[in-house]
Amino acid sequence: MMHCTMEDLLALQGGEASVWAREHVAACATCGAELEALYQRVAQLKALPTRRPGRDRWPAVRDAVLTARRRRRERWGVWSVAAAAAVAALLVFRPFWTTSVDAADLARVKAQSATLEQQLRRYDPDGQVTSGRSAALCAALEDGIAVIDGELAQLDPNQVQARSAELVQLWQQRVDLMQQLVSARVTRAAYVGL
Amino acid sequence: MFFRRMTISLAVPDVLVARAKAGDLEALEALYRAFETPVYNLALRVLRRPEDAEDVLQETFLEVVRSIKQYRGEGHLWGWIRQIAASKALMRIRREQVRQTEELYEESVAGVGGGAGVALGVDLERAFERLSETARAVVWLHDVEGYTHEEIAEQMGKTVSFSKSQLARAHTRLRWMLDEGVAR
Repeated sequence: MMHCTMEDLLALQGGEASVWAREHVAACATCGAELEALYQRVAQLKALPTRRPGRDRWPAVRDAVLTARRRRRERWGVWSVAAAAAVAALLVFRPFWTTSVDAADLARVKAQSATLEQQLRRYDPDGQVTSGRSAALCAALEDGIAVIDGELAQLDPNQVQARSAELVQLWQQRVDLMQQLVSARVTRAAYVGL
Repeated sequence: MFFRRMTISLAVPDVLVARAKAGDLEALEALYRAFETPVYNLALRVLRRPEDAEDVLQETFLEVVRSIKQYRGEGHLWGWIRQIAASKALMRIRREQVRQTEELYEESVAGVGGGAGVALGVDLERAFERLSETARAVVWLHDVEGYTHEEIAEQMGKTVSFSKSQLARAHTRLRWMLDEGVAR
């Protein structure tokens, strides 16, 4: 008489046995006992005592974490200063730029800005792995955009027509910074042309 | 020590996970304390040597600290950490390539037991420790941790058939060792 193999018994335990195995184990006392022994063995394995570590490894983990953070801060420090200086330079020297001043230009840069906003919204920075360097650059670029947004918000609506050149210039700078932000986030490039 | 006498609870408040994701060192330590025993236990059952299990414990939590932001709260946190721990333990098996040595050891155990007659006593824990590392990993992950053969195969970089045959072979050997009293 052919008996169940261990594979058959494990399949029975897992509820995926063949019809033959199911019928056989119901009729055969030997295989029934083997299946019961298998259940017992698995139950005993689950009931084995829990072993605990003899040494505390948390200090080693914590030290590694702190060392990694210190190194990251050092790297960020250098790149943050560089990026912030570049953004500041962009803002300081903007009066020397010349742009054509008309409503079409204003509409164009606003449309560009809106497109870039959409691109940034589609991109989920929290779901991406970002190096410290590019994170620092993004932060600096965002700060620069926030400064421009602040200036745009403060423009007196009555003066908008009179200061249209300045308005276009501000929007153009916003677009430039946003293009660099998109580039930095999407490509995660270390250098974004600042 | 009080902590060691505590019942192991794998339930972790969401706020603790959120703090750990933000890099809060105290929260990270709390996670370590909550999961150090199950991680160590899993690693020890698979690898057998306490030093190796402690190394896996450390490697696992370094990975947890690095990757906790990627944990999206889908499923139990223990499931996520266990995945990392199992992966580290299996990686160690592959890296050290001690299987061949262990299989030779296993064969020698089988040889000794063959004519020794039935000894007294049953010691499943010792019998389990005498399995090869690969067999222990498959048995522990499947029978105790509840992994499917598909999951084990994926973690080990092997086929489902490999996982099934390892489990069957391991149980045959366990049964034999327990019957023969080899594990005593």
